[in-house]
Amino acid sequence: MSVRMPLADALEIGTRIPPLERALTQVRMVAYGAATWDWHRLHYEPAYASARNLAGPIVDGQMFGALLAEALLDWLGPRAFVRRMTFRLRTTVFAGETVRCEGEVTSVVTEQDCDVIRVAQRVRVGERIAVEPASAEIVLSR
Amino acid sequence: MTAIGALLTDELRGWIGREVSYTAREEIGRASIRYFALAIGDENPLYIDEAYARAAGYPSVIAPPTFVCETSQYAHRPPDQDGYIGHTWELPVKGCQMIRGGHDYEFFRPVLPEDRISVTWRLEDISEHTSSRGGSLLVVISSATCSNQRGELLARNRETLIFLPLEAAR
Repeated sequence: MSVRMPLADALEIGTRIPPLERALTQVRMVAYGAATWDWHRLHYEPAYASARNLAGPIVDGQMFGALLAEALLDWLGPRAFVRRMTFRLRTTVFAGETVRCEGEVTSVVTEQDCDVIRVAQRVRVGERIAVEPASAEIVLSR
Repeated sequence: MTAIGALLTDELRGWIGREVSYTAREEIGRASIRYFALAIGDENPLYIDEAYARAAGYPSVIAPPTFVCETSQYAHRPPDQDGYIGHTWELPVKGCQMIRGGHDYEFFRPVLPEDRISVTWRLEDISEHTSSRGGSLLVVISSATCSNQRGELLARNRETLIFLPLEAAR
């Protein structure tokens, strides 16, 4: 069984998190709404959205949390533990748009038997910034 | 334009500090974890492969971090007119559009399929601010604290909602 090991010793301030791109298709949004028991019509009903002056069904804000966490754990491996995440939503993202999660290391601190990595992240949709500021604190056991 | 002070009424202030709890009827389970990972498009084997998860030091597969914070799965509410079945405060705020502002998550340990979740929502604060366009808006901060059937703390989600008067939202 191959389990990728953490990379803490190779990290420094400014090290980039490998970007994660994801097309947030209407199908994916419906699947996410079902998986999270969120049946709100804003996420899948075009007429409901347009009646509220929206260009289309809108992406659930917590989807960005899931994607930002995915980017961190893909990067730091299976023993990494995300201890904190915080993010602010800046613009609405609509069904069918593709998002790109980016970020970089802001500090690496050794605490007792672990390394704590802090990062800044953001989510882009083309030229728009959808999520920023965003930050996270990840624990890697030594 | 809505004047400052018009939105945050005494009635609304009275909501600060309210709490409501929901307990899931069953454990989170492997199928729900796999469904969430599949829906978001996360192919991390920690969520679907028992042997991989054990080799990484976990007792079984684990849930993606933010899954536990999606608390509609624990509520037992019929769909409202928006189709929504999750927790909502139904605040006495008229003529406003609600916008999600952001989330602050704390995670205390990985969530396992055997965890049966209880969540306590608390209305932490309501405050009124001047919007960038000069009008007024409300900021509502709530926390959702998740624990399991043994009272072990799993996660806390602090959620910011913004209520913007419709005249300003247009």
